[in-house]
Amino acid sequence: MHRAKDTWSQNKSTFEFDEGKLVSFGRESNFESSHKIYRDGITGIYYHIGKVSDEEGYAKARKNLERERPYPFELETGTRARDKRERVLTDRELQSKAENCIKYLNETYPKFRCKIRFTGTEYDRRTVNDLGMDYRSQDYAVGISGSFKHCDSKNIDDGYFEFNMRDFDENVFRQVADDYFGQYEVMNKIPEEVILDVTYYGLVSFFSQHLNGEELARGTSLLTGKIGEKLFSDDFTLIHDATDEEAWFNTFWDGDGCVFENDKLVLVENGVLKTGYADKKTAREYNIPHTGPAYDSFSDIPGAGGLNLRIARSGKTVKELLDGRLCVVPVDFTSSGFNEKGEYTMLIQNSLLFNGEKVLGRLPEFKIASTVFDMFGKDFIGVSSDRPIYYDKQLLVRVNIV
Amino acid sequence: MDYNFIFPKDLYSEVRIEERYRIWLTIRNGKIENDGEYTEVGAMVRVFDGNMWYTATTNTLEDIQSQLDSLTKIATPDPDIYENEVVKAFEVNQDVIMNFDKESDIRNVPRSRWKEILDDYVEKCSDPEDKDITFRECYIGGEHEKKHLITSKGTDVAWDMQSCYFGFNYGFTVDGVTSYGNYYAVKMTLPELIGLEEKVLEKKELYLDYAKNAKDIDPGEYECVLAPMVTAMFTHESFGHKSEADFMLTDKALAKEWVIGKKVGSEKISICDDGQLLNHGYAPYDDEGTKACKTYLMKDGVLIGRLHDSKSAVTMGEQKTGNSRAQDYHKQPIVRMTNTYMEPGTDKFEDMIAGIKDGIYVRDVSNGTGNSTFVINPTLCFRIRDGKVCEPVRVHMLTGNVFRTLFDVDAVGDDYELFDTYSCGKNGQGIRVSAGGPSIRVKKLSIS
Repeated sequence: MHRAKDTWSQNKSTFEFDEGKLVSFGRESNFESSHKIYRDGITGIYYHIGKVSDEEGYAKARKNLERERPYPFELETGTRARDKRERVLTDRELQSKAENCIKYLNETYPKFRCKIRFTGTEYDRRTVNDLGMDYRSQDYAVGISGSFKHCDSKNIDDGYFEFNMRDFDENVFRQVADDYFGQYEVMNKIPEEVILDVTYYGLVSFFSQHLNGEELARGTSLLTGKIGEKLFSDDFTLIHDATDEEAWFNTFWDGDGCVFENDKLVLVENGVLKTGYADKKTAREYNIPHTGPAYDSFSDIPGAGGLNLRIARSGKTVKELLDGRLCVVPVDFTSSGFNEKGEYTMLIQNSLLFNGEKVLGRLPEFKIASTVFDMFGKDFIGVSSDRPIYYDKQLLVRVNIV
Repeated sequence: MDYNFIFPKDLYSEVRIEERYRIWLTIRNGKIENDGEYTEVGAMVRVFDGNMWYTATTNTLEDIQSQLDSLTKIATPDPDIYENEVVKAFEVNQDVIMNFDKESDIRNVPRSRWKEILDDYVEKCSDPEDKDITFRECYIGGEHEKKHLITSKGTDVAWDMQSCYFGFNYGFTVDGVTSYGNYYAVKMTLPELIGLEEKVLEKKELYLDYAKNAKDIDPGEYECVLAPMVTAMFTHESFGHKSEADFMLTDKALAKEWVIGKKVGSEKISICDDGQLLNHGYAPYDDEGTKACKTYLMKDGVLIGRLHDSKSAVTMGEQKTGNSRAQDYHKQPIVRMTNTYMEPGTDKFEDMIAGIKDGIYVRDVSNGTGNSTFVINPTLCFRIRDGKVCEPVRVHMLTGNVFRTLFDVDAVGDDYELFDTYSCGKNGQGIRVSAGGPSIRVKKLSIS
């Protein structure tokens, strides 16, 4: 019999501003634990929100062995701690910086109504077991998120923004505000060649589904039978990357306790599909290689998931990738997601026209379409080395107007 | 449970204690994929000094008083706080409403009973020999929540709510392309989830037909008939969100657009919100302690009401409606819908279809959003030709301008349904709601 324990804690402080005024301050303290007992190929799990003693946690986990959740695998071992914290702010420091940002917004862009939250989050995640495993990951970031609208707009909102910083720099906020609002009242024509400049988290979720080992093995993936084939652009390399600096509050180990070589798993390399992914349970069930990652579950056994997908950066800035062309930065949009054939539609309700250095103004509403194979194939331009406007990684891709 | 909090002088304060139980089970491709259960207890403590709200959350009920005391130290006392217009508007109610007794409360249902029901559905709705099906996932679960709000003005209300859900997801692989279809139901008690096999299998057949026969469609504008489930989403997304008054407190452009008494849609349309209904959006008291009521938002095409919390009601000089809701004890309440629906009309579905030469019947939907242009992402659509529903068609997105589309509704059906399967996101908070309506016909919607 073996024992393991997962813990997760998150302490948050949030300052919320509405129409240029501080309207609330909130403190949140969260702690969750998962006590696990492993015996004869099964596991008993007790998930608790709030504090609980180990004695009670393991006793309840032992009782839950009666649920007979299968886990016929060796537990992992290893010790490592990663601390991504750079500068943890006190509530007073966070308030002061947030107020400076809002002051700039109020004075510089009085025509915009904004609802903005500044949240400082400190994170601590740990997994230990009685074979000596002790993994810990700590992080701190200030998340800035909000919605805005122009005073003349009949919309509820005209757009949204969200970005994170480990060391809160007020100049970044000012730059983002200048990009969004500085040329907002200048209306432009939609360029003939539409190049989207977007954060790509939503787009790469296609690969989370279609590279899942279970989907590949059952033939329900659009990528079934295509491992080893060149399907995408030479410049497209897709990696599960636990070291990603722009991933927040993540671990370097997966739900099975496994750590990747160099903390990375390459799924697509220079357009060639290298592998799907499978956790221990999926690998055993479908007789496929175990690659990881497994999603992290406090209440049950893990399964395939938990990818932190990153497209390899091009080494070129947005301006260099554009090479004299202009791109569209959507700030209010709704997508259909990828359908069963890998087709994609997006209604761009509000967007900015950008030349890689300067926002030139706004664009009218329009709709675009593409497919996953075109987006990451012939129409893939690249992921920039810099992070203008979004203060995050971003993809440039050609799309069609519909 | 009785609490005796010492509320600070010269500040308005409140404690919202929530107890939540969740259970869930999933069988995927013949094996148990998920099996979980937990109970959570937590509280949000809020203090208002007339300018700002100060909040703290805790999972330890013994800490509530100390959290209250610590917030008191950072707020600015105001001896006239109870003369503040918003504080004056907070209702004082004392009530206990427990809807679920020993038999119906899911906390008393053994896990083995959930598993029996799940196994029964898997057996009846998932023939392992059926070669058309390449993916099968059946799930069941429930949530029971109990809220208790105590305020320094004397409100002490407690109520409970629960929901039980069941769903079946199918995957059909045709020529290397896998289409998914699903049946999903939410009810208030577990026994209501029993006996839905016919509905599950009916949906399975519809989605199998889609997987095998769906045709691509040329993008463009089409006359459309929306099924009740789609009307429900249209009502929620296109109109419901614009009725939430917190969007327009000092927004002159929106306030001008949404003046009470203005004709904003077809006279066939009437839309209500009612948190008293024991459906998925049930909230007999909102999270400020205001008693729920039925609020007409649109009557015969005329805007006659809005959804409010106390602040928006005071600011706009309108009646409170009991729509201040929080996702859970981690969040502060904001203006939200509850059970929102378009009232039925008198038109027959057959008559609506009969009048269309070339159009689209939108049968089922996954999600949507609502701004001046609303978006609905359908999952099941059919071509209408010469007054008949014909082959399934592949539609990615349905869009329309809210201001125009509300006037373009020229038929409202008598086949009203209220759906408990919805949840709604706003400002980072997801909340349970119901949405309802009948079939409607719209002169023109953009299809892509």
